[in-house]
Amino acid sequence: MHSPARRTTWAVALSATLLLAACGGGGDDEEGGGSGDPIVVGISLPLTGDFSEPGKGVQEGYEAWAKITNDKGGLLGRQIELKILDDQSNADRVVADYEQLIGSDQVDLVVGPFSTRLVVPSARVAQEYGMLFVEPAGAAAEVFNQGFKNLFYAAPAVADDHYNHLAEYLLALPAGQKPATVAYAAMDDPFAQGTAYGLKKKLEAGGVKTVVNEVYPPNTTDFGSIAAKIAAAKPDMVVGGSQYQDGVNLIVALQQLNYQPKLAAFSTAPTSPEFAKAIGNKTEGILSPTGYSQDAPYESNKEFVEKFKAQFGKVPEEDQANGYTTGQVVAAAVQAAGCAEQGECQQKLIDWLHGNTVDTVVGPLKWDATGKPQGAHMIQQWIGDDIKIVLPADAKEADMVYPKPAW
Amino acid sequence: MLVFQSVVLGLLLGGLYALLAAGLTLYFGIMRVVMIAHSAFLILAAYLAWWTNDRLGIDPLLSMVVTVPLFFGAGVLLQRGLLSRLRPATLTMMSVLITFAIALIIEGLLGYAFTGTQRRIQLGYGTASFELFGARVAVVKLIAFGLAVVSLACLYVLMKRTQFGWALRATIQHPDAARLVGIDTERTAGFGFGLGLATAAVGGTALSLDTTIYPSLHWHWIGPLMAIIVVGGLGSVPGAAAAALVLGLAQSLLQIPMGATWAQTVFYVALFATLAVRPQGFFGGRLAQRF
Repeated sequence: MHSPARRTTWAVALSATLLLAACGGGGDDEEGGGSGDPIVVGISLPLTGDFSEPGKGVQEGYEAWAKITNDKGGLLGRQIELKILDDQSNADRVVADYEQLIGSDQVDLVVGPFSTRLVVPSARVAQEYGMLFVEPAGAAAEVFNQGFKNLFYAAPAVADDHYNHLAEYLLALPAGQKPATVAYAAMDDPFAQGTAYGLKKKLEAGGVKTVVNEVYPPNTTDFGSIAAKIAAAKPDMVVGGSQYQDGVNLIVALQQLNYQPKLAAFSTAPTSPEFAKAIGNKTEGILSPTGYSQDAPYESNKEFVEKFKAQFGKVPEEDQANGYTTGQVVAAAVQAAGCAEQGECQQKLIDWLHGNTVDTVVGPLKWDATGKPQGAHMIQQWIGDDIKIVLPADAKEADMVYPKPAW
Repeated sequence: MLVFQSVVLGLLLGGLYALLAAGLTLYFGIMRVVMIAHSAFLILAAYLAWWTNDRLGIDPLLSMVVTVPLFFGAGVLLQRGLLSRLRPATLTMMSVLITFAIALIIEGLLGYAFTGTQRRIQLGYGTASFELFGARVAVVKLIAFGLAVVSLACLYVLMKRTQFGWALRATIQHPDAARLVGIDTERTAGFGFGLGLATAAVGGTALSLDTTIYPSLHWHWIGPLMAIIVVGGLGSVPGAAAAALVLGLAQSLLQIPMGATWAQTVFYVALFATLAVRPQGFFGGRLAQRF
């Protein structure tokens, strides 16, 4: 097995590692607090492959953040420079990318890539180098039970907490009005199920009865039977842990059976621009949690939407907002700690974020020790021809309509 | 009540399955080829129906005026130009590869032309329904079912009562003997293939009425459809129709106690049972001997 070629490879790899380590050690002393040079932020994003759509969205968010910050004079008086590599949606590639960014390119800060699958391996690299790692995507539970101490998810909530505001609202209703029975239908997918089951757990704890609990595989094309089961049980409320097509198909199937719930909540689908058209505008009263809204009244959001439009000629969606939020979180830490470079500074940034709240375009964010955000998603409702924020109270554009009108 | 509602939904679903599977079993009868691209053509027809409705604002059913002849022509060309040129010894294997490639090409072109965005036809009567003995019947599902009944009946009459139908059945049953009595089996096979693809045009339009479509959707359909034609007896259209109704009904009813995930497996359980117990199929008799 020990061929000469193999041994050579090992030798090269070893010396490369040593060399990198040496450079890394030397770099700290030289660069220290040089205030003139730009702050280089290293990012690896899936610009091609499976996640290229959201990947490009996040990239636009980062670019908007860099531009808006630089136009205002930069961070600590230094300009921000993004160094973006394409990981082709590949988990092996993403590890190599971050090793290159931190080890040989000596970037000052790193921020996360897109999707859980890529966040976990890259966060591990950042952890090994003691770097702060704020990430725009990766809401699944597995991100937070890896024991990362350097990771922060820059969004209001993980999937299980998306409906928290709604659960609070419903459980606070007087006994006569509170929905008594609920039907759940969720796609067999960690994210979609997480949203529905997060709400289910809280409502069940509050004494609301579950009458139907259906799980369907992602390739389900016919929702007639699931809808029949829900309609036959006549629950007060229906909750869909959905992506897009399944949510649309299920809503139409329920409408075909003339089932009229007092409340209907579906994840993802109702916030899509195509949604109203897809179900023939019979959207009346449908609820959906959302991580970002262009209309949210948070202070920095107005500036973000305006300047993003000027830069890209379109309004930002959730992916762009996630990238931007990540930038805001890092910037807040850098400003508070007064430094942005590899070495001891990184621990200062991490410690500061563990103890503080950051105001962002998606609202104030704070985290627990595992980096899980301690918020909840806003709840939007279709009222008339438009989807409006109804919960939480401090962000609402309209009052929640309950029970919902017939659809 | 739920059981009766599920029976109604199951029958409507089974009728649609029957139409979608009809072409698939026809190709096998005619040429012993496995046409993986059948469901891709279904989705293509569904996209054309959606496009007709979205761009021209007319009822998607009218798109069939164009798509049925178009698909018929495409079927004839496909059979004459590609499949009939394969060597008989490797026909079944190579036809799988070639039609797999066609399915990928259609999927790719759909993605290119219409993007991956999921589409749904917007119809005034999309969620309309009426009550029948206590069960709700959705109008769009009934239209799809009606399309299936009408086109399968037409297919039946065509096969049983016309000279072309006799020639086609003769070609299916015994090509050599058919040639001996003067049937141009090559041409007949081409037209038969066109007929199969024409059913895909009707089926895809029926499908589009009540489904959210996207380019890769056809992969979800080919498996159940294959199971249906095997259970029904390869090459037998009435067999496929009977199997489709039974399996559609079974899927719908099993969903009540077992949930969606396990109810879907009914197709594959039936497939394995058929191959183990009665490989010639449960409804069609011997391979392609009967129509």
